Amino acid sequence: MEVSWLHLVPLLPLAGAAVCGLAGKWLPKGWLYAVALTSVLLSFLIGVTAFSRLEGENPQFHELVYNWFAVGALHVDFGLTLDRLSGTLVLVITGVGFLIHLYSAAYIDDDPGYWRYFAYLNLFVAAMLTLVLGDNLVAMFVGWEGVGLCSYLLIGFWFDDDAKAYAGRKAFVVNRIGDFGFLIGIFVLFAATGSVNFAQINLAPLSLGLASAAAALLFLGACGKSAQLPLYIWLPDAMAGPTPVSALIHAATMVTAGVYMVARLSHVYVSAPGVMAVVAVVGCLTALWGALIGTAQNDIKKVLAYSTVSQLGFMFIGVGVGAFFAGTMHLVTHAFFKACLFLGSGAVIHGLSGEQDMTRMGGLRKYMPHTRATFAIATIAITGVLPLSGFFSKDEILAQAWHTRAFDFLTLTPGGEGHLTWLGPLIYAVGTLTAGITSFYMWRCYLVTFEGEFRGGADVHPHESPWPMTAPLWILAALSIVALVLGLPEPWARALHLEDLSWERFTEGSFAQVRGGPPRGGNLLLGFGIAWVVALIGGLTAWTLYKPGTAMAGDERFARTAPGLHRAFVNKLYVDEFYGWLILRPTWRFARGLWRWADSTLIDGLFVNGAAQLVESVASGARRFQNGNVQRYAAVLAVGVAALVVVFLVRG
Amino acid sequence: MPSFALSLVVFLPLAGAVLVMLLPRGEGGQHKGVALVTSLVTLAASLPLWLDFHPAGKYAFEQKAEWAPALGISYHIGLDGVALLLVMLTTFLGPIVILSSWKSIQSRVKEYCVALLVLETAMLGTLAALDLVLFYVFWEAMLIPMYLLIGVWGSERRIYAAVKFFLFTFVGSVLMLLAIFWLWSNSGPAGARTFDYVTILSQGALPAEKQKWLFLAFALAFAIKVPIFPLHTWLPDAHTEAPAAGSILLAGVMLKMGTFGFIRYAMPLFPHAAKEWAPVIGVLGVIGIVYGSFMCMAQTDLKRLIAYSSVAHLGFVMLGLSALTVEAASGAVLQMVNHGISTGALFLMIGYLYERTHTRDLAAYGGLARVAPALAAVFVVITLSSIGLPGTNGFVGEFLILIGTFTARGLGTWQIGSFEFGKGVTLSVIGATGVILGAVYMLWMVQRVFFGPMRKAAQHGVPDLTVREWATVIPLLVAIVWIGAYPQPLLNVIKAPVDDFVQRVARPDGPRVRQLRQRGEAPPRGGEAPIQFLPPAKMAQPQPGLEGR
Repeated sequence: MEVSWLHLVPLLPLAGAAVCGLAGKWLPKGWLYAVALTSVLLSFLIGVTAFSRLEGENPQFHELVYNWFAVGALHVDFGLTLDRLSGTLVLVITGVGFLIHLYSAAYIDDDPGYWRYFAYLNLFVAAMLTLVLGDNLVAMFVGWEGVGLCSYLLIGFWFDDDAKAYAGRKAFVVNRIGDFGFLIGIFVLFAATGSVNFAQINLAPLSLGLASAAAALLFLGACGKSAQLPLYIWLPDAMAGPTPVSALIHAATMVTAGVYMVARLSHVYVSAPGVMAVVAVVGCLTALWGALIGTAQNDIKKVLAYSTVSQLGFMFIGVGVGAFFAGTMHLVTHAFFKACLFLGSGAVIHGLSGEQDMTRMGGLRKYMPHTRATFAIATIAITGVLPLSGFFSKDEILAQAWHTRAFDFLTLTPGGEGHLTWLGPLIYAVGTLTAGITSFYMWRCYLVTFEGEFRGGADVHPHESPWPMTAPLWILAALSIVALVLGLPEPWARALHLEDLSWERFTEGSFAQVRGGPPRGGNLLLGFGIAWVVALIGGLTAWTLYKPGTAMAGDERFARTAPGLHRAFVNKLYVDEFYGWLILRPTWRFARGLWRWADSTLIDGLFVNGAAQLVESVASGARRFQNGNVQRYAAVLAVGVAALVVVFLVRG
Repeated sequence: MPSFALSLVVFLPLAGAVLVMLLPRGEGGQHKGVALVTSLVTLAASLPLWLDFHPAGKYAFEQKAEWAPALGISYHIGLDGVALLLVMLTTFLGPIVILSSWKSIQSRVKEYCVALLVLETAMLGTLAALDLVLFYVFWEAMLIPMYLLIGVWGSERRIYAAVKFFLFTFVGSVLMLLAIFWLWSNSGPAGARTFDYVTILSQGALPAEKQKWLFLAFALAFAIKVPIFPLHTWLPDAHTEAPAAGSILLAGVMLKMGTFGFIRYAMPLFPHAAKEWAPVIGVLGVIGIVYGSFMCMAQTDLKRLIAYSSVAHLGFVMLGLSALTVEAASGAVLQMVNHGISTGALFLMIGYLYERTHTRDLAAYGGLARVAPALAAVFVVITLSSIGLPGTNGFVGEFLILIGTFTARGLGTWQIGSFEFGKGVTLSVIGATGVILGAVYMLWMVQRVFFGPMRKAAQHGVPDLTVREWATVIPLLVAIVWIGAYPQPLLNVIKAPVDDFVQRVARPDGPRVRQLRQRGEAPPRGGEAPIQFLPPAKMAQPQPGLEGR
């Protein structure tokens, strides 16, 4: 349905950003907060209203805001589409976004740059909304790079610190590597379909080659934005930004953009089974990779950052095996519990006057009951020791991986199958192992932070945060529980009369189907049983190593048992060092060498100034012939005449 | 709209220059005042050109008067959409440039103002000219004031830079002049020859085999101006030594004269040769993008860094022109304007930084965002435009160029082993790495200058932007956002000339050219042999059939 109000959803936060950024310095603080919070809240309310009116088969609201540019065959419009998928994301972005704005009002209150902070944060919400609402690839790219800009600005928010400014720059540049792929992917799809609109692209028949090229290139973009191997390295560093930013941008919303994009282009991806396999494998490896590093980090935000990298990997397993609904469901549930965890860590950091090192925490349950309770709920949700939202969404992904037929090239031709059938179960196995590790590192994080005795200095006085910070924590914790209805297995949902809320059914028409039909159902309880046992093993291992009262002794035991492995995990598997050695330093050295030798010496020195010198020396040589000495002129003349005479005589 | 409207715009700055000359020497700002008013009036006079641009034929605001009829030289001016945009860019930058040097130029103010105004007229004339001699006169006239701007008001190595600038561009122009004479001698029987660009163009393309050397002669002149790798080494020196205003005009308008020359003269006049050489131009454009970016990463001098970034940006423009698709060529023209705004603005800001810190050395900078937040914020916005962030002007241009090149099938393929690569696809993909590299060096520079702890440059304090400086910056910021959000009016204006350009060059033997021939608008050429001293010996060789015609 064509509507005329959809542009308000991103426009309101954009206007908020303009007010905060241009006039914020002079506005009274209260007004500024009012502007920043209201704009997001209004967007949320519009989103809720629109969302509740989505009815019928594959419903959507569409608005053509204006024709952005059109040249030759290329028409790029600024069009917005709110359907069930983008509508849900609008709710998550503005809903979680509002909570984090509220939280931030308390968190950033003392900082003189608070007005700048809210301008960036509002701008981020506007860009993120553009990203999910855009009805074509270029509009999505506007949001895509827009959120990258806000991420850059907010990571480097405390720009006096060179390391923080560097982290922001690193995020932007690494994302640009992904954006390079995204751009070329747009070109391929435009060349293949003659359009950049999702509606046209998702209807066009695509050859295997073009679909694979486009899907692979766009996935490079997703690897950048959603921090997957090999481009995840910016996300841990992004923790340099204020913690609410980490919660909103680097956990709940922006980093999931890659998953959203793959789901949006499901048609292209299912046409490229090879790339689907790549997506699933990259997701699987990243999940394991992030979880392993997460086991040995002592900075509470770093643990959560690697956890995010890992969880994003799970989402990519979901979309990679063709279970787009499972991947996006995990996106939504993860937004709740991970935002809750990050805001909880922010409350801890705030309560400890900026301390982020878990070795100097401990026993905080006494001082921060609300933070502790909500953190525990979110930890349960992510680890799955009790069936909260994260349990169902993660388990759905793994179950779908076991049965997937998305990698089967031969399903493209009717009658054949049998390619890469072993890959799905392998991904399931690695994913299940990763879930166990997840349970371990998250419970470790919880135990050393909140249980046992406080290990900080005597001058630190831990305290609970004010209500604008605890209220969002409770809401997010509640959502982490409630969201389990999205993923209830069908028989259970029917028994509870909740089948209308099933995410799978809700998004039924939103995604392309893997050819060869949907995966076969498996033994539900067996899958759940395995997942539960694995989560318990991880949690119990953490409990044995980091029992209350033993402080960080578990780390030492780990280091004693496997010193090499522990050191590698502590040092983040040396990936940054490796990239520095392989890419960064050679590139800068190459640039300097090229400038010195090619540009200065060869082109400018030899050719340009060399030519100039040649002219000059010829000229100064020639100058000697015109020195005004008449005798010499006469002599030269005589020699010349003589020479001519000789020539004529010889030639006869 | 009076028939002399365009002439008025072109010569108003010159009139202002005369007025400044008549003023008594001495201080008091009267010279700058007159210059500023003149440039503002010129801007105001140029606005009707933008608002009333409805060309009946190919050119709007055409005016033609005899100049030297015996030689076929006329005063013929007019604007197509491409020239219009660049004229608007020039008059738009005029007042900004004069305001920007209000404080920094304190010696020989009178001469400085005269040079700036004469330069503006020369640039406007180059864009408006529709007669080859007129074009050439304005083209060369640009050299002198710029030479003086660098040589008199520049920094330490100004003489070296000025001479280098002059020699480089002059050498290129000489060959172009010879090619212009050749065109003239070929334009009709003796007595009826003409330098009129419109007439010569309507005669249709020269025989393909004659085009090569003429094309190269024109292309060399323009390539030096752009500058295309490897003819670029005059640019970093010129930019580094020039005063801020000189850099702004150099980057903002003058480099565009090179790319304008390609789209207006070199390529349409010699379409067969242009088409043949298009892949070469594309390759050089891509080299410019990548090579220029790497050069930026090696710089320690702020201005030199931006100068090299111009090499990269102009590489994008040349890539767009070489693809011979409507999308890419439109992007190229848009990118000319964008580069004028963004890089002009960068040089403006660096001028302001230099006034405050008296150093261009990156190592001395650091932490300026703390003391001059507004300056930093403005600089960051301009940087984002320069690296083509969506929502700013830079994105639309780069995007059109790259997508237009990607889909350019007319360029053919390269064969490496058993693999075939579409030239357009390959060039586009390599060119798109400029998107990454641009972020690398620009954000590195921003961090070096504005973030981190304060270093030497900030030790005496760095005042934030003044009201006068805001006045120069705001129009540029508005343009950045406006073109980024709504580029369609600009694209509409350039549609006709770009379509024409692509038609003519991509299909030199296509229906359009044949149609002209059939209608008899392309008269049979040269009744007699052209004058013998042209073309020069070097050029005569590959054109054996010349005398026989």
